[in-house]
Amino acid sequence: MKLGELKENSEAVVSGISGDARFVGRITSIGLTPGCHISIVKNDKNRPVLLYSRDTMIAVNRKECEGIEVTEVRA
Amino acid sequence: MTATIALLGQPNSGKSTLFNALTGLRQHVGNWPGKTVEKKEGSFTHNGNTYNVADLPGSYSMSANSDEEVITRDFIASGKADVVCILADSSQLERSLFMLADYAGISAPCFLVLNMEDVAREQGKFIDAEAIEKKLGIPVMMFSATDTKAYDKFYATLKRALRERSQINVSALESEYEKIGGYNEIKEQLSDNSVPGYTPMWLTVKYLENDTVVSAKLKNELPKDKMRKIESLSVNSEGAVATGECKFAWIDEILDGAVNGRKEKTSLGKLDRIFTHRIWGKPAVVLTVILGLLASFIPALPVMGIGSLIDMLKNVAAEGLISAGCPDFIRGLICDVIIQSMSYVVKMLGFVFGVTLVFGMLEEVGIMARISYVFDNTMGKLGLQGKSVMPFLVSFGCTMGGAAGARVIDNWGQKVLTIALAWAVPCGAAWSIIPMLSTVFFGAAAPIVIVAILLVMLLHMWITAKIFSRGLVKTEDRYGMIMELPPYHKPKWGSLMRYVLGRTKDTFFRVTKVVLLVCVIFWLLSYAGSSDGNSILYNIGIAIEPVTKFFGLPWQLFLAFIASSVGKEGAVGVISALYTGGSYSAAFSDAMSGGGVAANLNEILLANVSRPEALAFIFAITFNLPCVVALAATYQEIHSVKWTAKIALYYTVTALLLACAAYHIGLLIW
Repeated sequence: MKLGELKENSEAVVSGISGDARFVGRITSIGLTPGCHISIVKNDKNRPVLLYSRDTMIAVNRKECEGIEVTEVRA
Repeated sequence: MTATIALLGQPNSGKSTLFNALTGLRQHVGNWPGKTVEKKEGSFTHNGNTYNVADLPGSYSMSANSDEEVITRDFIASGKADVVCILADSSQLERSLFMLADYAGISAPCFLVLNMEDVAREQGKFIDAEAIEKKLGIPVMMFSATDTKAYDKFYATLKRALRERSQINVSALESEYEKIGGYNEIKEQLSDNSVPGYTPMWLTVKYLENDTVVSAKLKNELPKDKMRKIESLSVNSEGAVATGECKFAWIDEILDGAVNGRKEKTSLGKLDRIFTHRIWGKPAVVLTVILGLLASFIPALPVMGIGSLIDMLKNVAAEGLISAGCPDFIRGLICDVIIQSMSYVVKMLGFVFGVTLVFGMLEEVGIMARISYVFDNTMGKLGLQGKSVMPFLVSFGCTMGGAAGARVIDNWGQKVLTIALAWAVPCGAAWSIIPMLSTVFFGAAAPIVIVAILLVMLLHMWITAKIFSRGLVKTEDRYGMIMELPPYHKPKWGSLMRYVLGRTKDTFFRVTKVVLLVCVIFWLLSYAGSSDGNSILYNIGIAIEPVTKFFGLPWQLFLAFIASSVGKEGAVGVISALYTGGSYSAAFSDAMSGGGVAANLNEILLANVSRPEALAFIFAITFNLPCVVALAATYQEIHSVKWTAKIALYYTVTALLLACAAYHIGLLIW
């Protein structure tokens, strides 16, 4: 499933990142790589998705979420 | 001894705090040669040694995603820096060490500063800097840039780094990279001096990441057969995913056993729950900005007071010069150009000071990132970042403040676009004229005019965004937000004040030149000598009246429109003078300082100006270029004569077109 489809307070693991070199570069440099654990802090319509990963609160625009594939983990 | 150090770090790593604390007022903001990227340099002395500091631009990595990152790379590789100081955030160590991992393999010596030691400690994290140093092979220190007592330790580490000139031990990182298909095959084709400043490992990794700048460099430097071999290996377009995994695997290895403590909790704080709220978020951040701006005017008011004093000095100087028998021309040049310009600039500095202080604080505290988050979607539609909303808000008060505030936007094209749109927001001076003129001419219908102006403003911004974004914001820059919302930090007042004062000083010198130049041009055009008929502006106004009349502006109103390009407050004064038959060149210069309005202005206006003409005039001056100081402030921020002129010309033309539309609509109504 895509990052944007995750519900608030859910936990997930990044399973894949796809897009052009620039996009991939930006996403990995902020710490999102396959295998990293994320928790969704906020996912409001018309707002970037707020997530927590590697001790950091990160905002990702909804369109960019399309390039991030995740697998939900049940706590 | 003189040494150059370069500061490198991700956003929110405390790089600017360190830079400001080290250099204080001895800093200079310029441009990187041939680029639109801001260059921040400074210097300091310690124990008799002089250190030059370069604050390198750039964001999260050393890749070629933006001009900033390429400049940063080139600067380091050129060997201009004796040592590179890499900053990381101790409270988010794993993620913020990415910059170090991306740097590894560049030949320039470096050392690592683990900043925000205090925050990490508060979170209950314990970091063993010595263990990290052992694994990395470069000096590593814990640090808190906001703690003035910590700097002795910084100087000591800096000295050690300059003495040891050590490079990062990359063997563990390289064994990670070797697992990537094609890595060894590409690296075999490279030698230590394929591209000076970079090791074969670093070049190979960037090639795998589809770094266009590196592949172009390799194509230039390598023999054809070697390049052909490299190109024959297929490179995945998502190479940065694999190398990114390697970098984080290496970071995990480095930190293993060196960091322990609690994991941070993941919920939002009370303040963040308001700022990120679906409904209340926007009002909350707008209110915060407005309150901050109001507070900033308390220290700014005395500065503006000095500006007004200079204005008064003008009259005193004028009387003195006249009684001393000074020629009229010289007196005009001294009083109406030089003193007047200084008065403008000093008044403006009050705004620049206030806005820089508030925006600087919002950025340091971490609120700016929240503003970006709530306005990301709205501003994205105009091709802008969420932060662009701030200069727009400021522009309701003062466009020069808005232009000065646009410096928080880190992409040059978006910065220029933001300022171009901020000009469409009617400023405080326009708001002091519009209601007055509307009431005189339209009575109870005045609020309708004001609503119409606000609607036209939105339309104007939308259309201007469409027109300008094509040349300014490249499609590859139209990325949505991917950014960190940092934890809140306490502002460091001393360092912030030094930064604000430095910035204000810099603005003063740059802006003064432009304002003087523009004022002298306007003054020469309006200078009439012995009789009004000699002024160039007057003659042009009369000659082209048949044309301007079509736009709804008789020559008097047209000249007032031209005067409003210098300062909107002046426009009404010029009308008063022209319709009362007073000496108009004197009125022109008087009006510039906001005075010279006839007592019976209402009657004069009603007797001479028709309602459609009045409507045309209101639109013309509202959407004209804001004022000469805003023009200079725009130039100061965007460093481009071409774009400043483009925006100014665009506003003059659109203001006349809007006036024309308003006039003809007016003719239909009345």
